[in-house]
Amino acid sequence: MSNIAGKAYAMNVITPIRSRYSFINRWLFGKATKTPAALLGLVTLSLIHYARWVIIPRNSFPHLDASQPKEELNYDYMIFQSNFNGSWAQYVDSFTFAIPAGLDLFWKWNVRYPKSVPLTPFHDYIRHNQIDTCHYYSAYPMAASNDVKSAKVLKQALCDFDKASAGKPADEFLTDYHALLNAMQLHLGEMRPTPVVSMAAQAVKDRHSGTPEKVQGFKGANDSAEPVENSASSRTPPAAPLSSTDAPEYS
Amino acid sequence: MANTGGGAQALTILSPIKNGYLGETTFADETFKRCMNIRIHEESPLAKIPDTYLARLYVLNDVLYESKPANDTILNLNDLFSLFKGKYRLRGLPKTDKLKSRYLVFSSNFHGESDEDLDRYLKNLYLHWDYTDYYGKRHDIHHIWRHCVAYDKVKSADDFVSYMRKCALDTSLFFNGSNGDSLKEQLKALYLKQELSRFAINHQGKSAGEIQTAWHAFIDRVRPTDLEAPSWKPGQSTVRTS
Repeated sequence: MSNIAGKAYAMNVITPIRSRYSFINRWLFGKATKTPAALLGLVTLSLIHYARWVIIPRNSFPHLDASQPKEELNYDYMIFQSNFNGSWAQYVDSFTFAIPAGLDLFWKWNVRYPKSVPLTPFHDYIRHNQIDTCHYYSAYPMAASNDVKSAKVLKQALCDFDKASAGKPADEFLTDYHALLNAMQLHLGEMRPTPVVSMAAQAVKDRHSGTPEKVQGFKGANDSAEPVENSASSRTPPAAPLSSTDAPEYS
Repeated sequence: MANTGGGAQALTILSPIKNGYLGETTFADETFKRCMNIRIHEESPLAKIPDTYLARLYVLNDVLYESKPANDTILNLNDLFSLFKGKYRLRGLPKTDKLKSRYLVFSSNFHGESDEDLDRYLKNLYLHWDYTDYYGKRHDIHHIWRHCVAYDKVKSADDFVSYMRKCALDTSLFFNGSNGDSLKEQLKALYLKQELSRFAINHQGKSAGEIQTAWHAFIDRVRPTDLEAPSWKPGQSTVRTS
């Protein structure tokens, strides 16, 4: 599995929610969307890049073709997906300690939600309902969410300083330069492939470094030959995808 | 709905996978395996899709049965009744759900807030998704989605956009804890943060004249307003000296 991409961790949690109550959650989420102040608690969790809650009513799972059986479910489902920095435990615990009430509000109507306090049942609940990611991509694996935010501030300050210091005598330049560094000291700092970044990447590479036959579950006979579909709803694979100008010759 | 926020957009795609077999492997397991074989970081196909901040692929095999005891505020009546008959205890259990299809889940956070941005993003997914897997085989986007229900009808970028929109779920709540600048802007800013930090370290204790001269050379080299170069590459996982 690849829940880690550089400094980011991908969390997927899917939990059942009682259909008769899910409208309350949707209303709460709608209210929170329209009132950004309601999310101030989340803002304090600066380790988060992006997070989302998606409620799927029990009869609204995508149904694309008559050949696909329709889902018959008892519950609606809530999918929570987050991109954060740090370890699993740090993240889950920070939720509990920073916004326990908000957390309970968001998950309250979910079946068997144990509440965010105490920690152990909450850990068990998340762990039980978490689904691992197969492929996870971050455009900036060496950067944490705080790096992205700091970089924006720093870039603006650098540009402003460069403009303002143009043509100044050296002594005056140095004074302004020191002022820049003082003002920006919280945002400065090199980024590197820390052990988590490099070890996670190494683990993925190691998984694939054996001979294909030895890597059980990731490689089989189907990779070497174009297999035959064996299905009641068997279909011809899609034709070459791209327009003539863009299409590479492979599939 | 709340698919957007602060310049970014949350895309959640659930594509049902056909119930059938490829040889002796279910389509879902084959799809799972293919996702696992995608190379990471700079070599991920997602590094070629403009403005992708973070994205993931996984297979939803089933929903999970949540049977652990509830933490009821007062008491669970079924607990009380079960003193008399065991069937009341069983009534206290949640119902069991089982999905009839397995789903390929694609979830992305990308720059852009409008519907047009979403269409452009999906089109770019179709046109630019291209990678070589861990076994040296090159693949386009069909390699991942080809076993999904009704995907055989996708013959063009427009078909793909339409297909993905049918599989897209509305976000109930989206939290943007980062910033919604374009990816090029973000990567340039990260590059500058790295370079300015190094400059500050390397020029400690030097004279005003030396620092000023070095600064001008630094600006000429890093070109702060040029988003194209020099900058970090999408998915860059190692520090390069420039």
